[in-house]
Amino acid sequence: MSKHLLKFTVNGKDHALVVESHERLLDVLRNRLGLKGTKEGCSTGDCGICAVIMDGRLVNSCLVLAIQARNKKITTIEAIGTAENPHPLQRQFIKFNAAQCGFCIPGMILASKVLLDNNPSPTDEEIKEAIRGTLCRCTGYQSIVRAVKAAALEMKKR
Amino acid sequence: MRMSRKHDDYPQSVRATLVGKSVERVDSISKVLGKPIYSMDILPENCLYLKIVRSTHAHALLRKVDVSQAQQHPGVVLVITAADIPGINESAALLPDKPLLANEKVRFVGEPIAAIASHDQAVAEEAVNLVKIEYEDLPALFSPIEALKSDAPKIHENGNIAKHLKLRKGDVEEGFRQADYVVDGTYKTQFQEPVPLEPETGFVVPEPDGSVTCVGSMQSPFHVQTGVAKILSLRADQVRVIQAATGGAFGPKSDEMPVDILGMAAIVALKARKPTALAYTREESMIGHTKRHPFIINLKAGVKKSGRLTAWQAELIADTGAYASLGPLVVTRALFHATGPYEIPNVKSDSYCVYTNNTMAGSFRGFGGPQSHFAAESHVEEIAKKIGMDALEFRRINMLRPGSLTATSQVVDEGCGLEECVEKVVEASNWRRKKSEYPKQSGTIRNGIGIAIMYHGNSLGPEGNDYVAAHMNIDKDGTIRFRTALTEYGTGAPSGLLQIAAETMNLPLSYFKLEPPDTDYCNDSGPTVASRTTAVGGRAAQLVAGKLNHRLKEIAAELLGSNVDEIEISNASYFVRGYPGRAVSYLEVVESAYKSGTELKMHDTFTAPKCEYDPETSQGTTYLQYTYGAVTAEVKVDTETGKVQVDRMVAAYDVGKAINPLSVEGQIEGGTIQGLGYALMEEMIHTEGNVLNPNLADYYIPTSKDIPEITTIIVEYPGQLGPYGAKVIGEPPIVLPAAAIVNAIDHAIGVRLTEIPATPDRVLLSYMRKS
Repeated sequence: MSKHLLKFTVNGKDHALVVESHERLLDVLRNRLGLKGTKEGCSTGDCGICAVIMDGRLVNSCLVLAIQARNKKITTIEAIGTAENPHPLQRQFIKFNAAQCGFCIPGMILASKVLLDNNPSPTDEEIKEAIRGTLCRCTGYQSIVRAVKAAALEMKKR
Repeated sequence: MRMSRKHDDYPQSVRATLVGKSVERVDSISKVLGKPIYSMDILPENCLYLKIVRSTHAHALLRKVDVSQAQQHPGVVLVITAADIPGINESAALLPDKPLLANEKVRFVGEPIAAIASHDQAVAEEAVNLVKIEYEDLPALFSPIEALKSDAPKIHENGNIAKHLKLRKGDVEEGFRQADYVVDGTYKTQFQEPVPLEPETGFVVPEPDGSVTCVGSMQSPFHVQTGVAKILSLRADQVRVIQAATGGAFGPKSDEMPVDILGMAAIVALKARKPTALAYTREESMIGHTKRHPFIINLKAGVKKSGRLTAWQAELIADTGAYASLGPLVVTRALFHATGPYEIPNVKSDSYCVYTNNTMAGSFRGFGGPQSHFAAESHVEEIAKKIGMDALEFRRINMLRPGSLTATSQVVDEGCGLEECVEKVVEASNWRRKKSEYPKQSGTIRNGIGIAIMYHGNSLGPEGNDYVAAHMNIDKDGTIRFRTALTEYGTGAPSGLLQIAAETMNLPLSYFKLEPPDTDYCNDSGPTVASRTTAVGGRAAQLVAGKLNHRLKEIAAELLGSNVDEIEISNASYFVRGYPGRAVSYLEVVESAYKSGTELKMHDTFTAPKCEYDPETSQGTTYLQYTYGAVTAEVKVDTETGKVQVDRMVAAYDVGKAINPLSVEGQIEGGTIQGLGYALMEEMIHTEGNVLNPNLADYYIPTSKDIPEITTIIVEYPGQLGPYGAKVIGEPPIVLPAAAIVNAIDHAIGVRLTEIPATPDRVLLSYMRKS
């Protein structure tokens, strides 16, 4: 096991940390940077709940070694909105009851954000395709699709 | 025998302005922001982590458990085995059959034997392999049929039957004599894994006075308190239990696992004097916690040429795995619902909860209802075929209506919206056209449409005393805090309790705040199971909000020089009836109470009427009201691959009164998709007691790409138990999809699948056998 210097940007803030080669991005975010919004659902890359955005792409942070994030820009749920000023996705997820137990929601919102960043007017099928890697056991996905669609509309009106 | 319930009061309200409106849930905001609300987000500093040493044998005597090497491993703080348990070595949901840590014997692969504590999770995990265990294998049983044999080895001292329950209505032999046809069938269901997306987690903090504080992912805090106190040999008040946000539950988090997690963590926390956490991996969660019971259901039905059912005989055999968990109650609910929602004069049913050396089955949304309805709703199609009648027409002839007698001889004497649910789904699905046109198709891809109908007993009924406590108090700034020990784990039902309280007090919902369940600050409210939060918890909310409302009105009357009976409230202002000018605001009333030292604090417990029935015949009042429903499914079957795609589903449920229609729709959609998974893809596969697919790569749950278009229809025939006539809706939506989908497959390709899930290989094999 060797140690490495990890320089990367998380939610717009530069960090320099010494990490071990086996450390996962998920652990560094949660335990070293205290960003508990990224949840752990399976640790094997199957559920998509721990997803974060790395240089514009959605990645499962349980499958990314921390050092692979060197010089990358990471976005987690903490940078998406605030209680006073939620992101349109967050507002619409609440409105459509798309967050039930809530455990998949950070990953689900980030997957949706990557979609809307690249495709401002997605169809239902495109939304389903974009969130196919994120499992939700509560909602049956319908309300999530509605919320993402409504958020897209809201963002276009701005 | 005709039985009828007696209720003193019917809670239906004539006026409701907030109840019945779709409102946003109070817990949503922290969830969409990703706030640290789950157990693992709020771990105390300097925590110890536990890893579990598990049995690798399905049925064996433990000859030796040597932990010395693990104990000496650098970084290991403590190793515990059964010998380290200060109190009783038991973590069992119903029967005292399951130890917390196996002592003399193991009964399934994955059973906990020891736990290792370290500040470094990787070190604890490493040390797991250093515990040396000597097993002496015993003959193991992996099928309930084998386990029922008289010469089968005994898994538990009392034998392999954890429960046998009988239902006897009328004279089934006479019913068969009256029948023109008798139709037999056998149906099989699988282990379904609940997959709450947050695995089991929790931590325990040792307090300076020798007590413990337990925080975790759970459904029933007081159940955990009782369980952990027993393990630690402490009084209940020395075990404080706080529910953290819970990332899905679906049943198993009301059974043993939260007691296992917090019980083991508490033993270590007290011994090491350090906060201790235990988080199951996905694999541990899938192997360790309770799953939906696989059932073998044998049915025999007698029917007249006219379509009238004369007799119904059912034998239900459930594999509960190594420990009973709530299996005895699951087979009870399954037994009571084994006829499906039909009026049949003569019924004879027997259900068996049977031990095997498979992993445990227990509580899971639906609780025996999905298995019973899959069998019954498949079988009625076969009966209708036999007498050459349209199956929908057959259902109409026999289904429960107001005045009907259920299998338990309970009179349907409340609002019963079954017929309306059926008519609504038939209309919305374009049933008639599709039913007649689809069979004319040729080619390799065939469409089909199927239907299934249900009833679901509300209240705990035979499952326990049905009570809920609610506490309310008003802060100086007017915030009204609401607390109960019923938990939020995704359903949104606790938010509905605020809606009911706000409606009762005629105050804006924004004044109300939901407090987290904490055994130090609220009274026992029973378990958060059986979808009872709205129906029973809602009555507690009404009761306490009513009292608090009366207190506020008393203060207002005093301030206004009037009588409490004359006080009305509008726009958060109390006024004397007929004199809108003589008014005092809500905040003035609160302020006055604080000045005069009048407590604005109320709590009470609502207890539902007891269900009474004959334990020998199961005749009587088994539940206090029923939810009804009907579902259609349209499928596309590829006859070359056996793949089934569900294109469209229509689901109508009689929910009595939808308190928050948005939440009701959420339950219906979510449950429908869980039911679709049960129908088509979900199965925990055991081989010689080993689970072959304990991960989300090999155990499939529906993704966003598997979902059909779902039309949700809410039907409202008020029931007698719930507030405003509300009936339960958490569990019912998972009950019907399997039967509706399998019936649609039959319509598409003329193949009756008697076993689920309808995986491509199973569908293809059946189709090839037929052609």
